[in-house]
Amino acid sequence: MSEQKLVNLTIEGRQVAVPEGTMILEAAKQAGVLIPHYCYHPGLPVAGVCRMCLVEVEKMPKLAPSCATAVGEGQVVHVYSEKALEARKGVLELLLINHPLDCPICDQAGECELQDYTFQEGRADSRYREPKRFNPVEDFGGDVLYVTNRCILCTRCVRFMDDVHQDPVLCVSERGDRAMIAKAPDADLTQPWAANVIDLCPVGALVSKDFLNKARAWELDRTASVCTGCSQGCNSILETRDNVVVRQKPRSNEDVNKFYLCDAGRLDYRWMNRADRLEVPKIALAGALSPVDWEIAYAEAAKALAGKRAYVVASPKLSNEALFLLKRLITKTGGEGAFRCATGPEAPLPGVKDLALRADRAPNVQGAELLGFARRDADVLSGLKDGDVLVLADDVLEGVDAAASAVAKASAVIVVGTTLPLHLPKVAAALPIANVAEEEGTFTNLRGRVQRYLQAKAAPGLARPSWYALADLATAVGADSNACTLPSATFAELAASEPAFAGLSYDLIGLRGATVAGAGAGAA
Amino acid sequence: MAINVKVMERPVGEVSYVRATLKGMMLTLKHLVDPHRVTIQYPEEKWDLSPRWRGTHRMLTTEDGKAKCVACGLCPTVCPANCIKLVPGEDEEGNRYPLVFEIDEFRCIFCGYCQEVCPEEAIHLGRHYENAEFRRDRFVYDLERLTAQTHPVSELWDPAHPKGE
Repeated sequence: MSEQKLVNLTIEGRQVAVPEGTMILEAAKQAGVLIPHYCYHPGLPVAGVCRMCLVEVEKMPKLAPSCATAVGEGQVVHVYSEKALEARKGVLELLLINHPLDCPICDQAGECELQDYTFQEGRADSRYREPKRFNPVEDFGGDVLYVTNRCILCTRCVRFMDDVHQDPVLCVSERGDRAMIAKAPDADLTQPWAANVIDLCPVGALVSKDFLNKARAWELDRTASVCTGCSQGCNSILETRDNVVVRQKPRSNEDVNKFYLCDAGRLDYRWMNRADRLEVPKIALAGALSPVDWEIAYAEAAKALAGKRAYVVASPKLSNEALFLLKRLITKTGGEGAFRCATGPEAPLPGVKDLALRADRAPNVQGAELLGFARRDADVLSGLKDGDVLVLADDVLEGVDAAASAVAKASAVIVVGTTLPLHLPKVAAALPIANVAEEEGTFTNLRGRVQRYLQAKAAPGLARPSWYALADLATAVGADSNACTLPSATFAELAASEPAFAGLSYDLIGLRGATVAGAGAGAA
Repeated sequence: MAINVKVMERPVGEVSYVRATLKGMMLTLKHLVDPHRVTIQYPEEKWDLSPRWRGTHRMLTTEDGKAKCVACGLCPTVCPANCIKLVPGEDEEGNRYPLVFEIDEFRCIFCGYCQEVCPEEAIHLGRHYENAEFRRDRFVYDLERLTAQTHPVSELWDPAHPKGE
């Protein structure tokens, strides 16, 4: 950055110095002024079609579109001058001519930029008396529904499909007030990243079919999280209503996913709300599993593990903290750890460097590998020896015949999970844990970036966060983990004992993530 | 034991109750001969309610009998008592409508904000006061009950005529 020339200018009386070539709109953001805009989006090429970002620049003959006007030395920009406000009010009035104003039934209401800016700068009433143009709603395929009437033709969706997804299937068809977004014939918005047009749309023209009519934007609680769909580790926001996750949206992170989240990740949140959860600790009593107190369950698990070798099958959807505590358990009992990971085809987003729906469809494969878990995709139980205690950490036997002979080799089975697998023999203890939406923790993505996720909803029943349950279990078997009183304290223990994570802490990771030692090569 | 009790010397006219009793009886007598009525013969006679009376709710319906509500969620948002429960959904024609619309009339403070905020003029407060029930849970009015009620609805205060009814 140092070799870049800085330009000094004044925006709304505030002095800012920005690199040469920056647009006024971006410079104003640095000055703390948000210039209203629709067609401009930092991840897309500049179009300059909406005319909403007009500002007054001294010594310029006309108002300048701030998204497409580069800064100049000594410029004086007035965002809220009378002339600029008057111009933007006119733009808003024209945009609203054919806008149906159906905010009560529009999903975007509450997070709509047209609403926001109209309240901020628009006219209180309309002078338009003629009937509004009407076009029917069109299904764009995939998760996308196009409500033509609400469209303000900012062309963000068109530019996303053209330049970022590089699959140009959208265009503006017709002219004048008949103009609308059209889809290429026989093409559907089923591309792996196509649903991002829903987030890019500043109004309610492109809406998610999955979220349609489900909740109002202002009722939702938003929590910073990390998508669990693949090892890319896209930053996301979990939006919950009444303790139910209702949608997942991208959270922008310049170093990981920019502004995007793939369709598979975005729609993969329903499992977080599943109702058939393991809610209370259970131990085997007289041939059946009976609910007991946590302390009794820990003691029973420790009894089963006493003098035995633990064979831990961990889920790569567990946090670094949980995997680290499982590693303690392994070290203490002289056992070994393994995991397996579902895979699928990789689906890159062409316009963004190093962003793809990765083949490994779990968020913490890298973390599991760094912590010494062996990847055994073919047969995860192949390392299980006669007499071992099998520790299953979360849904690891999905699709594996639990009653098969491999499990029978174990002397006992301890389940640490969100659910209890059916027909699992020899279960000594089952400890309920919270899932990713219900606890705090970190994942390590495939580039070695450690990223935090926060708790979005409450765990069911007596379920405890995985770091809590596993720290107590480790303590019960003799690997003292009493220092793990919080996720941050657990991570501090992890950073202290694992060289790969050395120097990292929750404060350092923040909500943007930080890279583990030795990674960086190949990182974006 | 003598303590210093001070006996007030007041004139007889002030301490005597005879005069006050007679005054009260005179009033009673006056009402007897001039019966201006302060009671009404409820339930045969009903109270004449102000057009802006705010009583229990009513949901207005369209011509085909469906609730006008589009489940926009403004009334539960504006409700200061948090007494409206709304779950939006879609009907078979793809229109937005309330799957669940319940008003807890016990929690309601009858402020009329829901009526004021409603963009569809669907939910109204009613000019109605006979709400007695035998069970507490009957005071949670569901959509069916809100639409079935027929009493007149209250009028909003008109800022143009602040003193008008």
